Amino acid sequence: MVNLADVMDQVATQLDTISGLRVMAWPAGSVSPPTAIVGYPDKYDFDAAYGRGADIISLPVVVVCGRATDRTARDAIGAYANGSGASSVKAVVEAGTYTAFDTVRVTGVDFDIYTEAGVSYLAAIFTLDIAG
Amino acid sequence: MALVHGKNTVVKVASTDISTYVKTSDFERESDESDLTTYGKSSHVVKGGLLGGKFTFSGNYDSTAVSGPRALLEPLIGTEVAVIRQPEGAGTGKAQDSFSGNLKSYKESNPVADYVSFACEITISGDVTTTAQT
Repeated sequence: MVNLADVMDQVATQLDTISGLRVMAWPAGSVSPPTAIVGYPDKYDFDAAYGRGADIISLPVVVVCGRATDRTARDAIGAYANGSGASSVKAVVEAGTYTAFDTVRVTGVDFDIYTEAGVSYLAAIFTLDIAG
Repeated sequence: MALVHGKNTVVKVASTDISTYVKTSDFERESDESDLTTYGKSSHVVKGGLLGGKFTFSGNYDSTAVSGPRALLEPLIGTEVAVIRQPEGAGTGKAQDSFSGNLKSYKESNPVADYVSFACEITISGDVTTTAQT
């Protein structure tokens, strides 16, 4: 069984170890890129085993970089989306030690445009598969 | 009549409750069958004999020492274990099956894109005691 707030907090704490990346443990308002936002679950399945033995959560993490038309934003988001490296969301999240859940896997990333106050930012949406 | 959801099922092996690791289980009972057909019959005539069966279960591999599936079940391969299953969950008056059996097989599966899982088969030995829980 997992506590959602604890899950989101611990994922945010681990993301905060990435140098230069601001982190929000929940969608808390306006962003100042580069920022990672731990979103609310896309899916939260109970009873993955008898007796409330396990729950499975699909948790999004949105990393917002610079303006969508900037080359620097492309380069920055590439570092966060890479499968390895100091800024790799997948590598950093999966290397963490957690007490709120048993296991996490960053299963993939999608790219989109995030618009705030009329400005279009480049966004990478990571999907975290969490069980505990 | 009332439907019962499987999520509350209880499985205990060798006195350890492993329910929180198990996702599915099957309890099969069967009997030997003797064909007593004789001349003049148009259909088979059969009679039952000795009872038998198996209990299979599978679920999530867990790294917990001592009580996790690997730590508990793998060392018991080929030995007689006591099993209690409560198909409706724990509670006075609810169904319960108790039996001993040979832990015939234990299997672990490691898919690249999914969680590690385990599967186990126990061959029932002796009688099954089916009583309501007290």
